[in-house]
This record gives sequence, structure tokens and C-alpha cells, in this order.
Amino acid sequence: MNASLNQEFFSLPEDLAYLRLLHLADSALPIGALAHSFGLESLVSAEILKVSDLPAFLHGYLQEAGMLEAVACREAFHLADAKNKKFEASRWIETNDSLSALKPARENRAASAALGRNFLQAVLAVEDSTVLQEAREASLKSKSLIHHAAAFGLVSATLSFEETRTVLAYVHQMTASLVSACQRLLPIGQNEATRILWNLKPAIVETLVLSANYTLDAVSCFMPLLDWGAMEHPALATRLFIS
Amino acid sequence: MTATAKEALREIDLGISGQSRVPASMRLDFSRDAATGSTFLAGSYQEPPLKVVRAFSLEDGTALVHLHNVSGGLLGGDHLALQINIGCRTSVQVTTTGATRIYHHRPEFSLTTQCNEVVVGEGALLEYVPDAVIPFAGARFLQRTSIDLADGAGMFWWEILAPGREARGELFEYEHFEMKTRVAALGRRIATENICLRPADQDVSSLARLGPYRYAATFYMCRVGLEASAWRACEDHLREVTSSLTRTGEILWGVSSLVAHGLVVRCLSRRGREVLPGLHTLWRRAKLQLYGREAIPPRKVN
Repeated sequence: MNASLNQEFFSLPEDLAYLRLLHLADSALPIGALAHSFGLESLVSAEILKVSDLPAFLHGYLQEAGMLEAVACREAFHLADAKNKKFEASRWIETNDSLSALKPARENRAASAALGRNFLQAVLAVEDSTVLQEAREASLKSKSLIHHAAAFGLVSATLSFEETRTVLAYVHQMTASLVSACQRLLPIGQNEATRILWNLKPAIVETLVLSANYTLDAVSCFMPLLDWGAMEHPALATRLFIS
Repeated sequence: MTATAKEALREIDLGISGQSRVPASMRLDFSRDAATGSTFLAGSYQEPPLKVVRAFSLEDGTALVHLHNVSGGLLGGDHLALQINIGCRTSVQVTTTGATRIYHHRPEFSLTTQCNEVVVGEGALLEYVPDAVIPFAGARFLQRTSIDLADGAGMFWWEILAPGREARGELFEYEHFEMKTRVAALGRRIATENICLRPADQDVSSLARLGPYRYAATFYMCRVGLEASAWRACEDHLREVTSSLTRTGEILWGVSSLVAHGLVVRCLSRRGREVLPGLHTLWRRAKLQLYGREAIPPRKVN
């Protein structure tokens, strides 16, 4: 490949967007995702969740929390995509407030908000965006939380990522983070963790497809056992993860 | 958010096919007697099968009402709307006369719906302490509840979901159970619960949902205006109670601060009989902590 071809190839906007999406959707992105178990630690500590339960548990998790986060990511994406001529900060606040209300456990809500805030901060450090600045300032002013799913959706739209890829990437990284937490909590080897995540990919795609049918007002999420785990996490005597 | 329960009912109607059996609504308006400080039922509009016989005055001036359904339960095709207006500085307790039974869906009728709209005025207190909801085998049910809390308003509100008629071995045999609850304080959403269970299509007993437990309860405790630090202190206080009530494998209790103005308690239990006493314990402790006075359990038998 000669130099001009090389330059032309790598300057394709789609390729650059794809690389950026891969970067931002990496579960190892240093925004603090590794510090949270979202209630899993309590379930493992109470011997409710075991290695053999993981595939079915994660499948159910995708149907409930995965769907909720996918819908939130998609709604936030629409706030800044090409179809919307002007970004409305009030709708951004509303999306995040709706998501806050849908997360009953303080620990999960705070974790999602810490990741969202860090994520937006990380992107603003490398990308100059009026919409993202405006979103951050509006959240600060109204004391509204910035959730990870919403921040990911909004950032993705401003960076001209494709909507479907954005939601897929978000749900995938969120599942990968959870599997990673399970590796630290349970006796799971690398190959087994890889197999679990690999086998969940059809469920991730299913979540993506179904999420297009819902709004945040309509999507259901019923995870009382995991809510309990998150609520009780601060009371655990020994913790690997943050409360 | 939909403005009124009746409007919500109309909104639901648009999305439902099939014949409606009973469209009925009830409105209850509570006010404060300026001379005595007691709360009284100032006005009501009632359509059968919804019925409130009268308001009873409790020793602290609270008005207690029992919600009756003279049909004995919710039948397929029932479309019920309930509107409760709790006036400024009133104190109201609402309970049921027994479990809310949701009967088997009949194919010729649309699914059963109930819309509740509650407005709690400035400085008022609502205690909504019903018995469990029991969806029978084949039941199809949709409930929408919107609660608006004004400045200084408070609320204790629980809902208990049973798996079915457990004594006859009927577990998760209902077809569709949907419950959407929104709580707003000063116009801002502080809690939303969207439950949609279709046991034939989803594994309700997945560890991502109920796990080995059969009963689920949610208990909101709110008082608009208290600072976040006060809620954290209350959360810590109630966590001692939830920890003492929890027996892993049998019954789990958890408590957490809402995004503002309140707490939420989650309960999962294998058996139904332990849920209500646990809720009463938490109600008593929380009311003392938040209001400095005792919770008065509703009288069920005259």
C-alpha cells in the first residue's frame, strides 16, 4: 500500500469514528468501571449467586437492566444526533433524572453517575464539543446526575457514531464489566469468562433490537434481588468493590 | 407524566383491544378541620365496584379510609380509576379490607386496568398501607400510579406482590402483570418503578429477578424538604432493622436513599405471612424517626 492510499484509507470518517467507538467502549477505559459490582458482591457474599448460575443470571440481567440502559443510551443519542437541529439541555436533564428515578438503590445510582461524570470528563479532555460542554454545565446547574448510558449516547451522537453500533457497544462493555467483576468475585478462569461473554452476544443483539421499541417512560426493569444486593452492599464487612 | 387518573385510563384504553366490562372511578378529597386540626373526608365521588364507606378518625386526627371493591376483586375488563387529593396539612391513612384479587382474564374482555392518581398537599401526610395484590392464574393486569408530593408533604406507601394463590399451589401462573409507579416531589421525579412480568415468557425465578423468592414488596418513605444527610442517617438507622429482619434464604430486606426526599425499602420473601409484619416494623421505626410519633396500624375489623 503506498503512502497516498494509506492516507486516504485512514482518513475515512467512518474508520476514525469506529476506532473512537472501540476506544470509548473498552471496559478498561479508565473511568472507574472496575470499582463497582452493582450489587453482585452482596449476592456472592450471601452465597446466592454461584458460578453455575452466571450464564442465566447475565441473560436475565440483559433483559432487565441491559434493556433499560440501552433505551437510555438511545434516548440520549437522539438528543444530539443529526435529526435534532438543536440540543435541548432540558431534555438531557429529564433523561438523566428519569434514569435516576429508575435506579432505586443508591449504590447503583451513584456508580452509574460516577462513571457517567468521569466518562464525559474524559471525552471533554480530548474533544472540544459545545454540546457536551453545555450538557455538563446544565447538569451541574440543576444538580442532576450524569449517567453512564446517557453520557455514552450523547457523546456518541456528537462524535457522529452510528446509533445501532453505539447501543451495541455500550451494552457490550457494560456486560463485559460485569463479567470482569464476576472474575474477581468468583472462581472463574479467563477461558470461562471469555466463553460466558461470547455466548451472551446474541442476547446483547436481542437487547439492542428490542430497545428500539421503548422509551424510558415505558421500559420495564424488575431486578429486586440485585437491588437488594446493591442496597445491602454498604453493610458488608469486607468489600472488594466501592459502596 | 399523565395529568389525571382518568386521562391515564383513556391513554391506556387507546392501547388496549377488547371489550371493557366496568369503567369506574372514585375520587376522594381530604381537608383539614381548622378548629380541631383533624382531617376529614370533604368530598367523594364513587362508582361501583369502588367504595369507601366512611372515614374513621384516629386518635392523632388522621382520617382512615378502607378501599373496598364490592366485586370481591378485579375482574377481566375492569377499568378502574382512583384519584386521591390530600389537602394541605392533612393526615390520611388508606388501606384495603383484604388482599386485592385479580381474577382470571376472560378472552372476550380487555385486560384489567387500574389508574391511581394521588396528590399530597403541602405539609400533608399520606400513609398507604394495603394488603397484598394477588394475581390469579390467567390474570392480565396493568396498573399506573402517579404520586405528586408538594413542599413538606410526606408519604409511607407500600405495595406487596404475591405469586398467586400459593395455598392451592398456584405460583406465577398469571399471564401479564404490569405496574408502573411514579413518585414526584416538587414536580421532579424521585422514584419510578416499571414492572412487567409475563411468567410464560420470562423466568421470574431467575436470579436477575426474584431468584428463589416468591413475594416482592416495595415501600417508599418520603418527606419533602429533608436534606440528603438526614436521609442517609435514616437509611443507616433503618438498615439496622432490615438487617435484623433478614434471613437469607427465607426473607431479604434492603433499604436505600432515593435520589432526593425519601427512602425505598425492598423485600423479597419465600412466604407471604412475614412481609406485612416486617413492613409494619419499618413503618413504625421510620415514622418515629421522621415524624416523632407512632404509626397507628389500620383497624381492619370493627
